[in-house]
Amino acid sequence: MKVVHTTGFRYAGEVTASYNEARMLPVGTTGQLVLSAQLELLPGGTQFSYLDYWGTRVTAFEVLIPHSELTITATSVVEVSPRMPPASPADWRTVSKAGSLAVGYVEQLRQTSRTLPPEEVTRLARDAARETHAPDPAAMLICRRIGEAMQYVPGSTGVHSTAAEAWEKRSGVCQDIAHVALGALRSVDIPARYVSGYLHPDPEPRIGETATGESHAWVEWFCGTWRGYDPTNLLEIGDRHVLVGRGRDYDDVAPIRGVYAGPGASEQFVSVEITRMS
Amino acid sequence: MGDLFDGYTAGRLQRSPRAWDEMFPDPSAEPLVPRELYADVYAALARMTQDELRGRAESLARSYLAQGVTFDFAGEERPFPLDAVPRVVDAAEWGVIEAGVKQRVRVLEALLADVYGRQTCVRDGVLPASVIGSSTHFHRQAYGVRSPNGVRIQVAGIDLIRDEAGVMRVLEDNVRTPSGVSYVISNRRVMAQTLPELFTSMRVRPVGDYPYRLLGALRAAAPTDVADPTIVVLTPGVYNSAYYEHTLLARLMGVELVEGRDLFCADGHVWMRTTSGPARVDVIYRRVDDDYLDPLQFRADSVLGAPGMLTAARRGNVTIANAVGNGVADDKLVYTYLPDLIRYYLSEEPLLPNVDTWRLEDPGALEEVLDRLDELVVKPVDGSGGKGLVVGPDASPHELAELRVRLAQEPRGWIAQPVVQLSTIPTLVEDGIRPRHSDLRPFAVNDGSDIWVLPGGLTRVALPEGQLVVNSSRGGGSKDTWVLEPREQPRGTGSPASAVDEAHRVPDLVAAQSAPAALSDQDAAEGATVIGAVLGVSQYDQERQQQQQRQRRRT
Repeated sequence: MKVVHTTGFRYAGEVTASYNEARMLPVGTTGQLVLSAQLELLPGGTQFSYLDYWGTRVTAFEVLIPHSELTITATSVVEVSPRMPPASPADWRTVSKAGSLAVGYVEQLRQTSRTLPPEEVTRLARDAARETHAPDPAAMLICRRIGEAMQYVPGSTGVHSTAAEAWEKRSGVCQDIAHVALGALRSVDIPARYVSGYLHPDPEPRIGETATGESHAWVEWFCGTWRGYDPTNLLEIGDRHVLVGRGRDYDDVAPIRGVYAGPGASEQFVSVEITRMS
Repeated sequence: MGDLFDGYTAGRLQRSPRAWDEMFPDPSAEPLVPRELYADVYAALARMTQDELRGRAESLARSYLAQGVTFDFAGEERPFPLDAVPRVVDAAEWGVIEAGVKQRVRVLEALLADVYGRQTCVRDGVLPASVIGSSTHFHRQAYGVRSPNGVRIQVAGIDLIRDEAGVMRVLEDNVRTPSGVSYVISNRRVMAQTLPELFTSMRVRPVGDYPYRLLGALRAAAPTDVADPTIVVLTPGVYNSAYYEHTLLARLMGVELVEGRDLFCADGHVWMRTTSGPARVDVIYRRVDDDYLDPLQFRADSVLGAPGMLTAARRGNVTIANAVGNGVADDKLVYTYLPDLIRYYLSEEPLLPNVDTWRLEDPGALEEVLDRLDELVVKPVDGSGGKGLVVGPDASPHELAELRVRLAQEPRGWIAQPVVQLSTIPTLVEDGIRPRHSDLRPFAVNDGSDIWVLPGGLTRVALPEGQLVVNSSRGGGSKDTWVLEPREQPRGTGSPASAVDEAHRVPDLVAAQSAPAALSDQDAAEGATVIGAVLGVSQYDQERQQQQQRQRRRT
């Protein structure tokens, strides 16, 4: 799978300095092998790449050439294979004990201001937990019910929207649906994390044909191992999902964030092209 | 004995009957007999009339106002109140304090390296994962940033109190940007000038080494490829309550004092704007909080730092001292685990005990604390400077009711402690010399090969009678703290006899005690002058120009 993610900003005037961090390049993980990954800047600037606390590949860069438009292009080629559901998911006792064993679980149990679930969502989660016998089927049921209850409506929410706001409207984009799902999972003490990446839009991608894709988001929960699910599309994570990064919510994996000196008004553009290579 | 101490006993019995008194073993004895340690100070004070001492005290305050040694109290600039009666610590007790503070710094360094590393303390069950995972100062952005010599705590301020039984205990650790050392240096200078006779027969260890030690620790932390590192002190600016301290330290170390607008990042390095062009900065002794240091990582609206600073540190091109993310170690809930962590990392027993503390998330603890709220002290875990602290016995029923709700809502956010009657120490107030509660903040400097503890530290006193909160932001005062040389080692290199004679000459005494000269005035004069205020105006000093950019749309 080849992904070309282009994003950038057009400013109302000249920007004299710009400092940014991009999280747009995938890293190797279970079921995903990165064959190549690189980031290009226009105009040019100094790049520095590192793995952050969450294991996400970060490209820190600065642009000190005066510019009125900034374009960032991330190009990667990734081999993706379908991920197997866990053979023997853990029971409630094991999962709740895990919470005390490592910071990596504990921090995925705490709600953030983005994921804080409204009363109705916690009730939905509680019911699902009662109707099932173990965390894994409970989590699956929670995500399905949330995915079914919420409409995918681009533009119905903003980039700073919270789970509560999206749930109120029963609509949002994948980012919002993931936040609602995280809030619900955490409310019944299942460690759950936000995943940022890409999804090939065609269920049966044809080789060599470039499709217009989008940035995507889904969730992973802990049931003895971490296991992913896409609540927006009610999909298992398969060979159309390319994973970029993980965190507590969107803010930990925002594709691009930065500060600049220059005019206040700016316009952002984004395009994602995905091609199945083989 | 003159009228100065009349009424001392009555004052103590009335408000602080159980407290240990630093000067008098039995403060209700008639007449008062001081501890041997204080015999000379007491005798010198006894030779003065109340009027004479007051005249000197006023001169202390005037001297401070003239020098700008002030602090911000409820929005008003006031001279930092320095009391004329010093606190005296003998060599033996200092030995315990010094070793205890060093131990504290060693374990805090080990903890920080672990927390931002493999987290073995969690794996081994010493520190619950939830304590780290929920700490507001566990900055994941600091993960992977390590100074070249591995030191994260160049400067620590460890707050000690003496309890009713005379035991020194650690009240809290401060390893973010502890302040107050400038008062230690200034207090000594002013005391030596104003009350030289108090020093006559005592061998007080000087405090003037501090800037040299700090500079040494900053140099030692510099990127390894730099032979003669450029060091700066980064201040939030004149409106910061500790601005005086920032200027003093920069001057005494002979380095530049800069603000965020004087700095910028390019090519992975931090640069300072000067009249002769950009100058590379190697070490930043920052007195700006983490949240304001790098708008790319923390608060995007901050103009007190420079974007890209943390990236430069991550690349090893600049050292930020103290390190970013240290706040997780002085979280007051983490504090409760320090004795266990000392055993775990150092295989030692704690030399200085903690104050007994309830963790509100322990089974039954919240219920017990809520039940006894009116007799306990409750503190927010991430506060400093006494912010948000509630002393149960002094709080109104309304305050307690409010607090009860907050504790029940967020038990992780608070700890509770029994009210410790901090030791009292004679302090000049309106009525004469009266007992006032006090604490002690020793300062430690870590250069990676040695942890040095400044002999002395900041003794703070709560000026209102019976008051137990000593922070200057809450109306506290300070005292000069005298650590005595061991008896068998006379001070200085001269003969013992001449050392005593010298101490009588005020200018020598001042010089010996506080070493006021800049380390290298020459460096400062030859170096380029910072003019960021002028050059920087187009870039970062206007908040509205700084915009956040983020991807707005997701599927």
